[in-house]
Amino acid sequence: MTESRTDNSEDPVEKLLRSARDEAVNDPFHVTGVMMQYYEVCERELWFASRHLEIDRDNTAVVRGTQVDESAYDDKRRNVSIDGTIAIDVLDDGRVMEVKPSSSLIKPAKLQLLYYLWYLDQVVGVEREGVLAHPTERKRETVALTDENTRWVEEAIRGIYDVTTSDSPPPAEEKPFCESCAYHDFCWSC
Amino acid sequence: MNDNYHVFTDGRLERHNDTIRLVTEDGEKKYLPIENAEALFLHGQIDYNTRLVSFLNDVGVAIHVFGWNDYYAGSIMPERGQTSGQTLVEQVRAYDDSTRRRAIARQFIEGSIHNMRANVKYYDDRGYDFDAIIDRLEAQAESLSDEMDTNELMGVEATARKAYYSIFDDVLPDGFDFGGRQYNPPDNEVNSLISFGNSLVYANVVSAIRATALDPAVSFLHEPGERRYSLALDIADLFKPLLADRIIFRVVNRNQLQLDDFESDLNGCLLNENGRKTFSKAFEESLEQTVDHPRLNRKVSYQYLLRVEVYKLKKHLLTGEEYVPFKRWW
Repeated sequence: MTESRTDNSEDPVEKLLRSARDEAVNDPFHVTGVMMQYYEVCERELWFASRHLEIDRDNTAVVRGTQVDESAYDDKRRNVSIDGTIAIDVLDDGRVMEVKPSSSLIKPAKLQLLYYLWYLDQVVGVEREGVLAHPTERKRETVALTDENTRWVEEAIRGIYDVTTSDSPPPAEEKPFCESCAYHDFCWSC
Repeated sequence: MNDNYHVFTDGRLERHNDTIRLVTEDGEKKYLPIENAEALFLHGQIDYNTRLVSFLNDVGVAIHVFGWNDYYAGSIMPERGQTSGQTLVEQVRAYDDSTRRRAIARQFIEGSIHNMRANVKYYDDRGYDFDAIIDRLEAQAESLSDEMDTNELMGVEATARKAYYSIFDDVLPDGFDFGGRQYNPPDNEVNSLISFGNSLVYANVVSAIRATALDPAVSFLHEPGERRYSLALDIADLFKPLLADRIIFRVVNRNQLQLDDFESDLNGCLLNENGRKTFSKAFEESLEQTVDHPRLNRKVSYQYLLRVEVYKLKKHLLTGEEYVPFKRWW
């Protein structure tokens, strides 16, 4: 990720925008919301996910996250898919909501939500506010696309491009979330 | 979710509501707790229908069938939950690149010899004098090089295994005479135990491979087979000393299995039903045994070590990170 791109290659942010706006781009570059999360949590996890490595579906954290996502605020939100790339939950008042089972991974969830707001702004052309919600803790936080947040999202897009186009994953790194990661045993088996 | 159930009697397996029952020939009905099952091992003559197969597919449970002479006859696997074109492409690429293929094959041999040596060392520490055998195994391990093709590697393995098998006659009690490996069919009690133990290891490796997106037919040490899951052969070799041979020594030396647990005829020697039950029970207990895994940072069962091994190989194929074979570390 420290290696800089060669001069003739395009900025990944531009590349993403072109492929999002124009279906005819060769070698399109897509970033999904969950890739944003992975990038913030663990670049190695992002690399595994980008190679479509299977996750351990029996992993308790995976099961729990899916359940919370499927059950929370069921009546007040609509799931909207945009360009087949991002899937967002829109509240009755038009704000974009991201639901997380716990607040321990707040930064990744926030980056994911900001990416949706950035995408809506840059690709679709609508400005929206975001709500980060933790149903199990009955907490909500409003999130807006400030200049600083925009830079954060765009740097993440560049980082995601570098990780996912690399031939090998970044080395394993012990993190507080490792034990609940669906790739844990795959990642640490040696 | 990792119990194996072995069926030794003849009869009929059927779906009954949301579980599986076995109806034996005398009409007795037994229910199998399918929610905890990883696989069913069928050793007897069993009838079943498509309804049973669909149900086992839904609950993700495999059937492994053992036929004549206790040989593995095939599996009915649940529809693949895991598929990954990229994984298969990388697996085939590694097979097709002779440098990479040799390196992986060599690791399998290195691990196998290490695990054979661990068994020899165990008995060497308990009053036997196996120094010469240990030396021979070490010499074979040291002779390995990256330049060897798979035939040469197989030769090293065969020499090591021959030395390794020479301890069996010393470790096992009188009456259990081995005299070297024979199969097709096994010619004595020890050979029949090795055959049976090895096929149980093999079937469990088949299940472990199927839990990932690796293709069980694309192998590195053995030639990719048309009929056999040759990748399972590659991986099973690493685990035979731990999962099959140690159990053979244990059940025989503790008199849990005796000569009347076998039946011999002109066609060789096989475990009888009671013998198979005893051995399978000891085998399953061994699969459930756990060991501290230093990298995973928790206790894992011997059975899970098979899954970890497949993960390691897959990780090597996809990332290029080094594949280090299973070497008993405790």
